[in-house]
Amino acid sequence: MNAPADIAISVKDLTVGYGDTVILQNVNFQVRRGEVFVILGASGSGKSTLLKAMIGLYPPLSGDVWIEGGNLVAAQGEERLALLRKIGVMYQSGALFGSITVLENVRLPLDEFTDLPDPLKEVAALARLKLVGLGAAADKMPAELSGGMQKRAAIARAMALDPGILFLDEPSAGLDPITSAGIDLLITNLAHHFGFTFVIVSHELPSIYSIADRVVMLGSGAKGIIAEGKPEELRDGAADPRVRRFFNRQPDPGHSVEPS
Amino acid sequence: MTISTQNELETEVEVRPDGQARVVLRGRLNAQTVAGCWIRLEQDLSEAKVQTLQVDVSGLGFCDAAGLSLLLSLNMGRMTPQATVSVLGLKADLEKIFRELALEDDETFHPQPAIQSGSFVGKIGRRVRQMSGDFHEQMVFLGAVIASLPASIFHPKRSRWAETRRVVELAGANAVPIVSLMSLLLGFIIAFESARRLAEFGAQLYVANTIMVVMVRDMGPLMTAILVAGRSGSSFAAEIGTMKVNEELNALQTFGLDPIPFLVVPRILAAVFLTPLLTFYSILMGVIGGVIVMLGLGFALPLILHQLASSVHLNDLGAGFSKSAVFGVIVSAVGCWHGLRTQQGPSAVGLSTTRAVVTSLLLIIVADAFFSAISFLLK
Repeated sequence: MNAPADIAISVKDLTVGYGDTVILQNVNFQVRRGEVFVILGASGSGKSTLLKAMIGLYPPLSGDVWIEGGNLVAAQGEERLALLRKIGVMYQSGALFGSITVLENVRLPLDEFTDLPDPLKEVAALARLKLVGLGAAADKMPAELSGGMQKRAAIARAMALDPGILFLDEPSAGLDPITSAGIDLLITNLAHHFGFTFVIVSHELPSIYSIADRVVMLGSGAKGIIAEGKPEELRDGAADPRVRRFFNRQPDPGHSVEPS
Repeated sequence: MTISTQNELETEVEVRPDGQARVVLRGRLNAQTVAGCWIRLEQDLSEAKVQTLQVDVSGLGFCDAAGLSLLLSLNMGRMTPQATVSVLGLKADLEKIFRELALEDDETFHPQPAIQSGSFVGKIGRRVRQMSGDFHEQMVFLGAVIASLPASIFHPKRSRWAETRRVVELAGANAVPIVSLMSLLLGFIIAFESARRLAEFGAQLYVANTIMVVMVRDMGPLMTAILVAGRSGSSFAAEIGTMKVNEELNALQTFGLDPIPFLVVPRILAAVFLTPLLTFYSILMGVIGGVIVMLGLGFALPLILHQLASSVHLNDLGAGFSKSAVFGVIVSAVGCWHGLRTQQGPSAVGLSTTRAVVTSLLLIIVADAFFSAISFLLK
């Protein structure tokens, strides 16, 4: 596919599900290089499913995911590995390997996939930890870190191979506002200074306003995108009442806990 | 002065005899070019006696985190340990990051773990202190179990019988196929081995006595207990250990529920009930295995049955079943104990499971030896 030069990811007619159950149907969007792109939606709308389909964990029922001009859905063997090398992923729980130190977690991809000399690997891993503000925690075990620190370490590991595109699953979920703001600042700095493209799954409105260049919103039960644009545009002028309710934190009609 | 170009990066190195060195990088310093650049610089710089190194990066069009790592590495003097290093010409935003990352405090990243006293006496002391702590905890656990048992037995409504039934089914009923196979084969083995020896004395008929006595008094209870330890003791430790890692035990305690009566007592009651039952079944299958061998040797079934019936007494059966009930308590209590002691981390549950099985097996053998000695002395 000859994608425009500034397109990092292109999702084409993507349908995801299992068996007869379709979770997302005919989803289409593009992510520009260097932008912070947020997939948002209510719980159960399929955000994480979409993310996992985009990184190749869930084979889609149909459709394609183009990453830097290569189709991840169709790619096999070495071609698939080369495409996976272009992305880094931070999972919601951090998913750090608990039996090795934080530094070794970040160094692991460098050991496995690069020919860098050992001293440089060491410095490269330390530099990434310093970039996320965890230099002093290099020799700690993951279990010794707080939730926010684990997410930072997971971001450092995700960018160990300088992949160009970083996928983050709920980076601010479960964090206090200050730690959450710190993660937001980190994302903005990494995008600005190193040109990373970010695809972020989130439903934290303050974070979305702070970091997102563009968002797509998935609707509960809609099996796809119900809105796309800048967060402020959607908040102020979305035609779909579900989008307005989401941005204005209003409950769905009929979902009331008040006695009738 | 040497200049080399690889991919999109041009590297220029000049080393003067007075110890002044200059490196100029132009193009893209990224994950693809950084390894080649490092090797090139190492060739030119590591052998030279450099006192001052200037790294000019004003010609870099792009520098990613890997490239930044190379510059940091040079700045730390990894290639020129004696030299004063300066990195010049970084673009303003990268310069800011570079200064923040400058790893002058590299040593602080690798704090040396506190060296523990290596003396032999110190080691023994620590071990003894740990063992006495463990013993204290074991006594507290045992006390809590004993204190909880009467309430569970005499106030059945408070007991979690559904949980007990579930454990009996998982650890007992589901173990029947493996117990069948193991005991049948054990019967074969004992019968074949004893038949060979007894044939030398013309006493092959006593194969029936051997099987019966061995299965009832020792092999039935012992092998069943070993199987229950491997199959269910480990599962108790893993189940409770996972609950601890997931903070489910904390949740129980904040509800005001004590994990001992809630989790441990149902498992101990289940084990006390199911281990003798499985032992009985194991003895039956072992004897059937022996009978099959004896039939193959040409003995008549009524003769075999008569010989079997005359070989054991009620007190043999009592000894076998009481032994197996004690083994059941050992396996379940040890499994639950190690589950409750599970630490944090991905290997913690595995460690608890291993310890539960090893400790159970050891205690079963010790208890069996104790029973044999008591039985010998009482006769």
